[in-house]
Amino acid sequence: MFKLIFLKELKEIIQSSRFTISFAVCSVLIILSFFMGAQNYLSSKAQYEAAVQENRNQIAANTEWMMVDHTITLPPQPLMALVNGISNDIGRNIEMSGRGELRADNTRFNDEPIFAIFRFMDLEFIFGIVLSLFAIIFAYDAINGEKVSGTLKLCFANSVSRAAFIGGKLAGSFVGLSTALLIPMLIGCALLPLLGIQLSADEWTRLGLIIFSGLAYFGLFLALAISVSAITSRPSNSFLIGLVVWIFAVLIVPRSSVLISGRLVEVPNVDEITAQKNRYRIQLFEEDRPKMENFSVPEGTEPSEVMTAFSSFMGELSSARQEKIDAFTERINEEFENKRRRQEEVALGLSRISPTSVFTLASTELAGTSLQLQNRFMDSANEYQNVYGNFMTEKTGQNQGGGFRMIMVTDEDQEEPENLDPDEMPQFEYAKATVEEATANSILDMGLLILFNIIFFGGAFAAFLRYDLR
Amino acid sequence: MNNETIKQAPLLEARNLTKVYEDGVKALDNLQLRVHPGEIFAMLGGNGAGKTTTINLFLDFIQPTSGHAFINGIDANADPLEAKKNVAFVSENVQLYPNFTAMQNVDFFVRLGGRHQYKRSDYEAALVRVGLQREAFDKKLKDFSKGMRQKCGIAIAILKDAPAILLDEPTSGLDPKAGKEFTRLVGDLRDEGKAILMSTHDIFRAKEISDHVGILNGGVLVAQKTNAELKGVNLEQLYVEYMAGYMEETLETGPLTNNLT
Ligand SMILES: Nc1ncnc2c1ncn2[C@@H]1O[C@H](COP(=O)(O)OP(=O)(O)O)[C@@H](O)[C@H]1O
Ligand SMILES: [Mg+2]
Repeated sequence: MFKLIFLKELKEIIQSSRFTISFAVCSVLIILSFFMGAQNYLSSKAQYEAAVQENRNQIAANTEWMMVDHTITLPPQPLMALVNGISNDIGRNIEMSGRGELRADNTRFNDEPIFAIFRFMDLEFIFGIVLSLFAIIFAYDAINGEKVSGTLKLCFANSVSRAAFIGGKLAGSFVGLSTALLIPMLIGCALLPLLGIQLSADEWTRLGLIIFSGLAYFGLFLALAISVSAITSRPSNSFLIGLVVWIFAVLIVPRSSVLISGRLVEVPNVDEITAQKNRYRIQLFEEDRPKMENFSVPEGTEPSEVMTAFSSFMGELSSARQEKIDAFTERINEEFENKRRRQEEVALGLSRISPTSVFTLASTELAGTSLQLQNRFMDSANEYQNVYGNFMTEKTGQNQGGGFRMIMVTDEDQEEPENLDPDEMPQFEYAKATVEEATANSILDMGLLILFNIIFFGGAFAAFLRYDLR
Repeated sequence: MNNETIKQAPLLEARNLTKVYEDGVKALDNLQLRVHPGEIFAMLGGNGAGKTTTINLFLDFIQPTSGHAFINGIDANADPLEAKKNVAFVSENVQLYPNFTAMQNVDFFVRLGGRHQYKRSDYEAALVRVGLQREAFDKKLKDFSKGMRQKCGIAIAILKDAPAILLDEPTSGLDPKAGKEFTRLVGDLRDEGKAILMSTHDIFRAKEISDHVGILNGGVLVAQKTNAELKGVNLEQLYVEYMAGYMEETLETGPLTNNLT
């Protein structure tokens, strides 16, 4: 009985014009997003290579390592182009210096603001918006439509259990529609090598998991729409409810979770922190003032010795204060970091009420474009900074902080200086998360997608067992 | 029918069947009826008399407030899956899957009815028997007229080959020719030994083919006559008498007059 209903559902879907139209639209969009992602990647790659080459040329034009301006660039990756995440919003370039704080500049959207208005039509967008809408359009009348049209009565005039009926319907529509969606996805995958993009085994695995998450995301919306159609008696009502749920899941929950977490967890802004540091500095100075006023030297000390004694006394006080200030700053920074992270966690946690956020988190994590991307880039850069600092020390005899340069000019006769060889310099490498790490980081969200599926499929099942068939 | 068949166990039986809807409407009040193999029982009654309620109770679409509906001796409410193996159903307005062809619909519903042995030629024979044009066999249902859909519905019921058949106003809205053909088919099925419970508000057709006529008014079976008892009786007169209060309303709104024409 289950099999019969399952097959009927499959056939009915495929023969409907609703399917033909939405399948065509979805296929075009999915293939287009692969195509555009590929184009996007190729152009970012060309830009990246040009930037790296330009940097090398600059190095090669110099004769002194001391004079080198070295900029490192975040290398683009194919998956980044397919699932943008935050990759367009973070700085891609870091001006290297041997020590000091590094800063990433030049976001994609900064360079090409036109894209910031409409964003890119990447896979995550297509899946997040289109697949969920497709699911609702398809299944909003799965049950109540059959009731209104009267086929439900005719079916249940036979010895058919409700469980077999709803089971066959859920399985049939999920298998039918997800197979249909898989086709353009596979075409999209096949397009990548044809367009000259070679993915590593590691990247194929991630892409496979992204597609898996996409289908799980689609499945949960499908089951959700079917459950709604099994608790309402009119398709117009279930369509409306489905649409409202969709708007909340896709548009409202993710955005408002960030706002709400901002309310729940207060994070001081940078100005406040600077002010706090300054206040502390003044406070420490005030504490030292009596000591300074009481500075005395034994009678009869030479004035020059007095000066020396005073300056060493002041030096001691100052370095003691600096030590305290450093400890304070570190604590404040850490507190700030913790609060910021806490706020982020609350926002992400809240946003996970929405399956769309869960899917976004899972897919960006898998593509390496989650919030982690920025941290990883900075971590890689900081690590590289050590290597770079050592290299510069070796070459120039000193490790220089940003901007400040000490150049020795001698008027000794020298042979014509030689140009630098950029290959001597250690290369920056961006350490992206391994597929194991990415999987581990996204496992919670993939699990949630599956949990949503269980809840909604179960919900549809339970609702139908109670459904008024007339 | 002769005495022998009457002694047989009834295939359809309502015993003290009562239904009060959630909103307090008593749609059916202590209904007693039996339909034996080879009999047609016609339930006459205007709109809201409780005909559909009775059929829904036999199909377990709703639960009885009290009493029982038995199909082939099986309580439809207690064991619906077993009970429904013994019954076929044709509704007032047969609805099939619009994106399926007539053949695909027949195939699906007949299999759903538990019959897997048929070949395409069997389906064709049944569709020919109910009078569907051959050109329509492989057309999608969404282009079918009501009459064509009713024909598919009865073909499905024939192919399910269940001992009992429930028909809920099967001819309402059909043109006179189609109505007549339909009635002839129902007569044939009775002659094959099926027990048929048919609701209708078409007095003449009811008298023409039924073995029993019951008049339902406000959920109460106010009269029950055998065909023999109806010989020479003016059924219309009888109906009007029993429905006295009811007729005035319906004559104005029209459903009864429609069927009289
Ligand atoms: N789901 C329901 N809830 C409440 N009352 C109902 C429901 N279905 C039918 N009724 C009422 O029960 C009575 C019998 O209805 P029904 O069996 O459909 O009549 P018929 O089929 O003879 O026209 C009517 O008064 C109708 O309004
Ligand atoms: Mg009715």
